[in-house]
Amino acid sequence: MKFTEQLGLFVRSFFLQTWWNYQKYQNLGLFFVMWPFVKKLYRGNEDGIPSALTRYLSTFNTQPAIASFCFGALAKQEETIAKAKNLNEFNEEVLEWNSIKQGLTITTASIGDRLFWGTLKPLTLLLGLFISLLLGIHVFELQQEETIPLMYAFAGGAAAFLAFNTIALFVKWEGIKISYETPSNACFGLTKFDWNRTIYNAKKIGLALTVGLILMGMYYYLRDFQQVPDVHFVTRAILVLFFVCISFLTHRLRIPNIYLYLVSVVLFNLFCYL
Amino acid sequence: MSLELLLLCLLAAVLELDTTYAFQLTLSRGIIAGPIFSLLTGDYAAGLQVGLFTELLFADINPLGAILPPSAVVCCAIALSLHALGIELCYAFIVAVLGALFFVQAERHIRKQRVRLLVSWEKRIQQNPDSIFRFLFLELGACFLINFVIISLFVGVSGAFMRWLQPFIPVKAFYACQFSFMAVPWIGLASLIPEFRLKKR
Repeated sequence: MKFTEQLGLFVRSFFLQTWWNYQKYQNLGLFFVMWPFVKKLYRGNEDGIPSALTRYLSTFNTQPAIASFCFGALAKQEETIAKAKNLNEFNEEVLEWNSIKQGLTITTASIGDRLFWGTLKPLTLLLGLFISLLLGIHVFELQQEETIPLMYAFAGGAAAFLAFNTIALFVKWEGIKISYETPSNACFGLTKFDWNRTIYNAKKIGLALTVGLILMGMYYYLRDFQQVPDVHFVTRAILVLFFVCISFLTHRLRIPNIYLYLVSVVLFNLFCYL
Repeated sequence: MSLELLLLCLLAAVLELDTTYAFQLTLSRGIIAGPIFSLLTGDYAAGLQVGLFTELLFADINPLGAILPPSAVVCCAIALSLHALGIELCYAFIVAVLGALFFVQAERHIRKQRVRLLVSWEKRIQQNPDSIFRFLFLELGACFLINFVIISLFVGVSGAFMRWLQPFIPVKAFYACQFSFMAVPWIGLASLIPEFRLKKR
């Protein structure tokens, strides 16, 4: 694949989800990404275009950052379809194209969801939080009048942004090339990376960071109470502990944090009036 | 609504596109959007705090498949707009969380309605594939406009309501809301531990 073709797919892949819908998900997005490549491929032989249009406008749904593996593999298969010598060969290659799309979308969605949404996003959030705390910003309990330098306010966010996008854009760019160059028996290059190991190690770091941040937060609280803890502190600590425990429970029951927070607002108000 | 709040709503509508419709460079995350909005309001500490709290609170809902998580951008924009209007941050955050939930419902409804429109667009694209660029701008423009209208309307209405209500809120309720606001990072961090649970490789 030429550099310009790869760049075209890469740039257009940022609009994969523009027409996201409940019927065919990212189908129009996939068509938008692949259209210049397909158009170039069938230049001078436009008989193949209607079939390609129907295929690219069929259901497609995967994780956007890792979808590049689908683009490269589908582009390679499209070239094979375009070179088909007769109708039988054409139909066989079209069937192969469909099975590649079906197989790859499921695989990449599974890896992408676990890696990017399930691991990298919370991990980079913790990184941002950790950097803010390192800069001396006690985000757990900022005072209303407290002012912080502009650079400090952006430091955590910038770190999270860079950390997430370095990996996401690398996978996006390399995925196109690797999947285009690697044959189907090598899983279109997906096996080049040990995804499970990466996710496992990232989760280990995430777990360590979460525990570390909870301890750091507790230290910031305790630091203010150098003498014997007073009633106010004990009440506060017990209530926070209660909500931490409840949070574990609600996670098991699949109740989102957002509802737990809204319930806590009601409960604390009731508690204040009792 | 002041010019800075109008700009904030415009910026929120643009950043909201990053959630699903374009780029997905994570500019729509609370930790990034919060400080960006604070450039307009001038309160960097509040921007950072609201951004971090929003993201910690929404950390357990991911956009897997057709799941639509509450919008961190909308939450940050509403919270910081109300705070800029003189509403206490703990009250502004409650309204913002409700606003984010409302926005999800509106978004879900719009997506369901949009299917019919997209089917007709798909037919037109099949007839003239090169017209897809026109539909890209049309779609992004429409989404931006809808986002802007919903966010600015919510900010306007809830801002006026909260400014009227705030003087009547008793001190006890203020402390209760303040305390639940302070519990947010703990709730978020606690939910991240099971999120990072280690499974067999």
